[in-house]
Amino acid sequence: MPLGKVISLTVATESTALKFYNEWHDTEGQLRPHYNGLHEAVLSMGFESLAQRWNHAQRQVHLDGVTFYLDPGHYRNMPTDFLPRVIPPGHWETIAAGVEQRIRAINHFLVGLYNDGQDVVPDEVIYTSQHFYPEVQGFRPPKDVFVHIYGVDLVHMGDGRYVVLEDNLRIPSGISYQLKSLAMTAELFPEFAAGYDILPYDIREAYLGMFRSLTENPDPVCVLLTDGKYGSAFFEHRYLSDFLDIPLVEGPDLYVGPDGYVYARTLDADVRVDVIYRRVEDLDLFVPGLGEAYLNGKVVLVNGVGTGTADDKLVFLSVPEMIEQYLGQTPVLEQARSYNPAEPDSRRYILENLENLVIKTRQGYGGLGVYVMPDLGEGYKARVANNILQNPLMFIAQETLDFSQHMVFNKEIPALEPQHVDLRVFAVQSGDGSVSVFPGGLTRVAQKGSRITNNSSGGLCKPTWVVR
Amino acid sequence: MQTNVGSPIETVTVSFIYAVRYGYSDTVIHNDNQIRIFPRYGEGQFDSQTEVWSIPFGRGADFKDRFGNQVRRLRVVEPHTNFIVAAGGNLRVATESPAVADLPISQLADLAESFEFTSVSPLVDPDSLREAAADIASGNHQLLVTVKAVIEWVYRNIVYKRGTTSVGTTADQVLASSEGVCQDKTHLSLGMLRALQVPCRYASGLITGQTGETHSWVEFFHPEQGWLRADPTRGIMLPPPSHYVKFGVGRDYTDVSPVTGSFLSTGGAKDIAAIADVRFDFARPTLRDALDLLNSAYTVRNETGSPGYPLERPERDR
Repeated sequence: MPLGKVISLTVATESTALKFYNEWHDTEGQLRPHYNGLHEAVLSMGFESLAQRWNHAQRQVHLDGVTFYLDPGHYRNMPTDFLPRVIPPGHWETIAAGVEQRIRAINHFLVGLYNDGQDVVPDEVIYTSQHFYPEVQGFRPPKDVFVHIYGVDLVHMGDGRYVVLEDNLRIPSGISYQLKSLAMTAELFPEFAAGYDILPYDIREAYLGMFRSLTENPDPVCVLLTDGKYGSAFFEHRYLSDFLDIPLVEGPDLYVGPDGYVYARTLDADVRVDVIYRRVEDLDLFVPGLGEAYLNGKVVLVNGVGTGTADDKLVFLSVPEMIEQYLGQTPVLEQARSYNPAEPDSRRYILENLENLVIKTRQGYGGLGVYVMPDLGEGYKARVANNILQNPLMFIAQETLDFSQHMVFNKEIPALEPQHVDLRVFAVQSGDGSVSVFPGGLTRVAQKGSRITNNSSGGLCKPTWVVR
Repeated sequence: MQTNVGSPIETVTVSFIYAVRYGYSDTVIHNDNQIRIFPRYGEGQFDSQTEVWSIPFGRGADFKDRFGNQVRRLRVVEPHTNFIVAAGGNLRVATESPAVADLPISQLADLAESFEFTSVSPLVDPDSLREAAADIASGNHQLLVTVKAVIEWVYRNIVYKRGTTSVGTTADQVLASSEGVCQDKTHLSLGMLRALQVPCRYASGLITGQTGETHSWVEFFHPEQGWLRADPTRGIMLPPPSHYVKFGVGRDYTDVSPVTGSFLSTGGAKDIAAIADVRFDFARPTLRDALDLLNSAYTVRNETGSPGYPLERPERDR
């Protein structure tokens, strides 16, 4: 396809469009082969009718209550861009193999950490981590699985090179937005998919199979424990409860009985609960005694308690070593080069190269406390340097990655514009030792001019296809 | 052939107790702390045996932080409205400080210690104290002479006064108000010495032969003798190790606070009582001894604090 045709679609930000790898077209403006069909579909629809249907789709997002709250009590629809991201053949095999390695290695690490000990991560890092729980020491979770559901953030550097930015182990969220945006695109923009062979997957069976694999009860009672409708991800809790057909419960719906087991109050009777898919962290705050019931083996919690230790961004530094030590394998996926400012040599390097690095708070999440230094003014540098010197244990530094951009439809212009995207891939690990990595993932789009893609920081989400 | 490189170190045995009680205005669901009340090995301290207790009981994990301090991470998950942490132990301490020769500060410039211990820390910003420090040093560049000048200046010019400063008071605020407690005097001395390129650190612990509260002092680095002590609260250069029981070292108070952490509760911190005791005695104190001592401690209302609150007791003579 000639250059002119694409340029006519992308009026804005030509300079940045060429600086970063664009998933839609190459630097010559030539469409990448797996975007031919999608591009044709957009052209033949025309921007005017696309904009009209876009409005309709956004209204549907609103009517369906697809929300992600930035602050409690403040209503906000999940901003969605319906142009799918297409992951071409070849890329997905690498991603899936790399993600499977990570979930297995991190699980090994956690079992070791809470039992025989581990020597991959320095003691100070572990024991100062907010989510290390001493009371879990000596506990083996059912079937030795701590990490049942795993979400990992990747960026695409171009030509199939994917790099890991961080792991999410405590309460990985976002899978409902992956499913919802896919379903809405299929329903409201059916012509996008014409000619594509999209890899299918069954998340429902993977989750329910995983729940079943963790208990002796062949027909276990499973519930989803939510922090309530003012939590930022309540839409997701409600969606997953519907989707998995398991009851959505709040703290007061559960109690720990005199026999130590956990019961759910229902209209008919109180029912013993086998598996709690918990979407809260401070268990005893929601259900008094739940932490103890778990450690006594009276109930299964998904994910296990104490997994958050591995969410710590200083623990992330050691995941390649975990893969080598526990699995005896070479890591399939690279990860962003990272530095620990608590080590004097690394601190020196960080201070000397600050303008090229990303600084993250160690226990931060959702894009909070992320400073992309090349995108910030000179004024920030002294402040961030001072912060690092004062609190070296609070931060990590990462190399800044010039990761890929993807076309986003801007109906105001109207035009397709490139914006940075990442990819959160979800995987599930069962009690029988199997791991399923769900094809695609949640593509998150950074706001224009930013590289921070977290939805908590105001980013969009996008449907993602893996094609054959 | 073996050579005896020095005469054996003279030591005495001391025993110590440290205890603190936190009161809360409502039930605490969990209480998660880092505890630094283990005598530090080396620099005149040896063979310590320490037990740490908490009420309610909490599970712990022991580790060394990056300054080499022994730390216990302790998490209590039993609901409570009072939380007690206590330690009791004994150790041997050297009765004399090593003899040291003076040398130019410039010889310390490229040491690893200089990188860690001359830059800014949360409560000590050397940049804000450069002018005052240069005045006190008045052109002198010898290590011992400079340290002595600074701690004596702080001893004479900062009035010992409690209640006017808090755990968050910074070194430059101490200079401006000219008053404070041992922690404040230590911070100001550290800031001035760091402004003069002397690598130095905050030491926290107890004073031997005294019942009362925790103490802090300065340690500065000497390339041949390692870390040496200087006490700006008492105006003493190179006091013998047996004057103290040292728990930990760091850049400032924030690195070595004896108990620091967080709790989860609908209420807040209500009050705090803390007490310490060190005797020239071999018998290792029991939890009972610690609780008896704690009962004699004065309770302080705490409007804003958390378990990282300062250890205060009104009647004191230092």
